[in-house]
Amino acid sequence: MRNAFKVAKWEFKRNIKNKSFLIGLFLTPAIFLFFILIGNIVDGSSGEDKDTTRVFIRDNIGILDTLQKTAKMHDLNWYMQATDISEKEVKEKLASRDNTAYIFLDDRAIDTGIIPVYTSEEIDPLFMNQVQVLETPIKAWQMKQLGLSDEELATISKGILFKESTAEDSAADNKTAEEGMASIVPGAFAGILLLSIIFSGMYIFQSASQEKKDKVAEIILSSLTPGELMQGKIIGYFWLGMIQAVVFLGFGIPMAIWKLDIPIVEYLLVPEVILFIFIAILGYLLFAALFIGVGATMADMASANNFQGMVMMLPFLPFVFIGPVINDPSGLFAQIGSYIPFTAPGVLILRLSILEEWPWVEIIIALAVLIVSIWLFMKMAGKIFKTGILMYGKNATPKEIWKWIRA
Amino acid sequence: MEIVLKVDHLGKSFKNVQILHDISFEVYKGEIMAILGPNGAGKSTTIRNIMGIMYPDHGSIKFLNQEGIPRNKIGYLPEERGLYKNVKVMDILLYLAELKDYPLKKAKERALAYFKKFDLEGKQNTSVDELSKGMGQKVQFIASILHEPELLILDEPFSGLDPVSQELFKQEIRNLAASGTAILLSSHQINLVEEMCDRIFLIHRGQKVIYGNMDDVKREYANFKCTIRGENDLNELKGLPNVQRVEQKEGSIVLYLSKDAHVAHWLRNLPETLELNELSIDRISLHEIFIDIATDRNLFKKEGMISA
Repeated sequence: MRNAFKVAKWEFKRNIKNKSFLIGLFLTPAIFLFFILIGNIVDGSSGEDKDTTRVFIRDNIGILDTLQKTAKMHDLNWYMQATDISEKEVKEKLASRDNTAYIFLDDRAIDTGIIPVYTSEEIDPLFMNQVQVLETPIKAWQMKQLGLSDEELATISKGILFKESTAEDSAADNKTAEEGMASIVPGAFAGILLLSIIFSGMYIFQSASQEKKDKVAEIILSSLTPGELMQGKIIGYFWLGMIQAVVFLGFGIPMAIWKLDIPIVEYLLVPEVILFIFIAILGYLLFAALFIGVGATMADMASANNFQGMVMMLPFLPFVFIGPVINDPSGLFAQIGSYIPFTAPGVLILRLSILEEWPWVEIIIALAVLIVSIWLFMKMAGKIFKTGILMYGKNATPKEIWKWIRA
Repeated sequence: MEIVLKVDHLGKSFKNVQILHDISFEVYKGEIMAILGPNGAGKSTTIRNIMGIMYPDHGSIKFLNQEGIPRNKIGYLPEERGLYKNVKVMDILLYLAELKDYPLKKAKERALAYFKKFDLEGKQNTSVDELSKGMGQKVQFIASILHEPELLILDEPFSGLDPVSQELFKQEIRNLAASGTAILLSSHQINLVEEMCDRIFLIHRGQKVIYGNMDDVKREYANFKCTIRGENDLNELKGLPNVQRVEQKEGSIVLYLSKDAHVAHWLRNLPETLELNELSIDRISLHEIFIDIATDRNLFKKEGMISA
């Protein structure tokens, strides 16, 4: 094991000093960041000067103050101002202005319930929706005018709500959007972790076949066993994956805090996250075993045959399940996905993020399947690696690989 | 002399084909022992079995009378060799030394000393992929001896080297042997091996052909041959005493003498009627023995082994 750590240290150092690895390390998150920022700038540039909607109110009923408070409460980007122009003059005024609206509040509001709003040709597309927030204060004023007491007002303005509750999910019925986020955050975290260690796991693939291409395997194997070399590579690339994850999160968490306005860190530091991380690590081990075994059968990346190419695509198999699982996180597809070792880590993380109550029996079965497959794949990879790493200049056929496994 | 490596009745098969048959030999402390043989004879397979990279079907390998090889006491230069690209020369040397549990500070000092010796001064921070092929070979050689191994195994150490580097390697291998390292090297280049080895093991088709002390082997197998230029009757020459075999090629005739022939006496008894434009007497070279065995003519092949 000591030798394995020497190998791990070497693989880590070798890659972390490698320019192309470093560029890859920062490029992916940088690209994400770039597009998010670009999105902002594009948004911003079209709205910078006309971002603020000028709303003129001809207030004949005296509730401008209330309306201003309401607009502020709803965080509307409005500049509200009283005006005394008549409806006849409005057209002229608007012709020369952008992002401007005139609202006329007078007795018509009580009589007909219609409030005329004149807008310029260019205006925030959401303006007519935003205006709706003014309905409540105007309605309140309207009712007051009709002589209702404050108590009556309160009752009426509450409205009526149909509340659904069945026996089965009475536990979940107080779920709010915030609580949904609370379980998605650790899941997303684990997803990023899994993805970045699997990405660096793909380097293992290259590393194993590179070992052969550089013909260095035999020199290394004169100092340690093939098993130690294999373990060392798996551990070393795991560290590299963690670095990748840290870089990703280093970009991602501040971004999410800035953009999403939810207490990410608070949601992240929950006991559930341990299980998520455990699943992510299991996922890594499975694919690492797979990649290192198959990598050792290839002369170089360019000469991968169909079989080897297919193995490389396996980590992306969970994407097939994303749709069905989101539709029905406890459905048949979700269950099948949890029991197939290659899709289990991804599907489990996705399901556990969505599901309110965790299906512990399924989780335990899925983890057991996963752990047994990891053990099996590690064994097989060890056998393939031992022979494959010393085979120079040609790809192993599936038949040969099968023979090594049985040997 | 102390036996460092003892290979005992080694046997190995691939796909039901026996690659090695009953191979046994020893390597002593401070000697250079060569495994010779044509391509595909089983040299590298023997070495890989010793190194524990392959596992023999039969037989045993002992290092200082112990089963199994302690990996930190053995240096190995494989036939298929290379180095990681994209790393600095010194980094990879230190990594390999670290794998052998050799103190890094000492490894660094030794590496710098060898750089000087092998004309690689100032290359320690060069990336491996910027080295020429010859330089790469030198770095690989340094890697195999940096940790002061007690047993050094070199598989085809001279392949792909220019004559200057060959000399350098030969000299260093001799130095190492003189300082007590047991050296096992394999080669198919007889001329290189002939002048530097103490003992040889000639292998063909996975079987021992000759094993013994270099001088003894030469004395035993390398009989005299007499080359005559001139028009002579073949049958007359065949009738001469102590002549085992006669070969005619391009105007000259080669007479292969038996082992017990006394050269001076034999020369004196040559018939005066012979036409002698040129006459030379040589020992049969190891090279000829090798070619003979490799091409399955088996004219010289004899059973038995010369004890070292």
